[in-house]
Amino acid sequence: METYKIVQNYLQELPFELQLVWILSVFLSLVVVIFVIYLKVLRSSLRKKEALQEEYKKRYETLLLSFLFDESNDDKLRNQENEFINIINAEINDNFNRKIIIETLLKLKNEISGEIEKDIQHIYLQSNLKSFAYQQLKSKNWYEIAKGIKELTQFKVEEAYSQIKILINYPKKEVQKEVQLYLVSLFHFEGLKFLSSLKSDLSEWDQIELLEELKHLENQEIPEITDWLTSKNDSVVMFTLKLAKMYNKYENVDTLIQLMNHENQKIRLQVILVLTHLQVLDAKSVLTSKFKSYTEEEQVAIFKLLENVFEPSDEKFIAENIHSNNFEIQLSALKMLKSINKNTFSKLLINKMAFKNSTVLNFVQNN
Amino acid sequence: MNDKKKIVLAEDNSTLSLLLKFKLEKEGYEVLVAEDGKKAIELIEEHNPNLILTDIMMPFVSGLEVISHVRNKLKLETKIIVFSAAGQEEMVLKAFSLGASDFMAKPFSPNELTIRIKRLLL
Repeated sequence: METYKIVQNYLQELPFELQLVWILSVFLSLVVVIFVIYLKVLRSSLRKKEALQEEYKKRYETLLLSFLFDESNDDKLRNQENEFINIINAEINDNFNRKIIIETLLKLKNEISGEIEKDIQHIYLQSNLKSFAYQQLKSKNWYEIAKGIKELTQFKVEEAYSQIKILINYPKKEVQKEVQLYLVSLFHFEGLKFLSSLKSDLSEWDQIELLEELKHLENQEIPEITDWLTSKNDSVVMFTLKLAKMYNKYENVDTLIQLMNHENQKIRLQVILVLTHLQVLDAKSVLTSKFKSYTEEEQVAIFKLLENVFEPSDEKFIAENIHSNNFEIQLSALKMLKSINKNTFSKLLINKMAFKNSTVLNFVQNN
Repeated sequence: MNDKKKIVLAEDNSTLSLLLKFKLEKEGYEVLVAEDGKKAIELIEEHNPNLILTDIMMPFVSGLEVISHVRNKLKLETKIIVFSAAGQEEMVLKAFSLGASDFMAKPFSPNELTIRIKRLLL
């Protein structure tokens, strides 16, 4: 009591600023103490959760492996299977348990092939795990939907097709991406039909992921792509052009040439790249006749195409461009001219003064 | 006397290592499991196994470092099979140049792995 009074008197006698400093110091000390206690409790609860997770993980791993390696007769195996599935079904109502079970199944499924992989798939399909993933598809949270689709993709649940397909134009990009991957992973080229109804943009990254997925398919028979080439969704057209290049779609050359009239310059440029890759002779006359109407970038691309398919009959067009202000076009034109008609090229060498910069000419002459 | 052939398995996926342990023990091998490369090196030095199975990507010490340690420091001729994931082709080439005997790309069949082990331990 005595000490309290001394402290109180001391504080009252202090100037206001110092009183304030004391109050702040006490307040901040209290905050620090509270935070330290909070962190201790949080860390201890996280450790407990981690330990529990580890315990459950080991339990499910052991259960799963004893089921996978049981060598008893068929009836006993069936009973064991039912018993295992019953255990799963009884425990998956708890989100924590379900997450660990799914993780355990996936950890093995992703690294193992053959019979064991099929067994894991069988367990997933026979248990109620699948129903929880279906429920997630109806969630109000986009991340729950995305997680549900991903799980159904990982466990190759083809029956979920109709419920997942309708989410193709879901407002969240993450959900759309999972839908696309589900369709392509499980239904391969057939799954690409979503392109016909896709309203949103297919990002560059989405396109890379889809192409990567398609690259690993055994059956490389790509379906008809004309509808997607003429889609109103520019990103679908861009993606289909990449498909046309990757799978050498010569049967779509006419549509590709028509696409040179597309209003989107990026598409026109991509078309030229595809035509160059396919080395389409027919495209040459169309592109050269409207050469001046194209942008400089497109003109460069056209010359790259021409380098692969030029003939002596192209001399006039090539000669018209040897004085181009664009270095790449000039270099390409001179190289082709030298190859088509050595006499004409020699005349250029005599009349070097006609060139603003004869370095390119000298370079072509010496190479 | 225990005449079982010893295998050190270095794999950070606990479920997979447990499965392989089950499978290989049923085939009559003694399997020592390490969850990372550091533990694998300790087990190899302590038990001098007949075969080493190692994943390429592992915490602390990678599968490549395990191979290098076995071949260059311990100077052992123990057969080594490496596990690789898709897209790790360059790592597999490095593993072979360091002295790996064989490799299996994930996902792999445990039955196929058993056949390869039997062939290497003939």
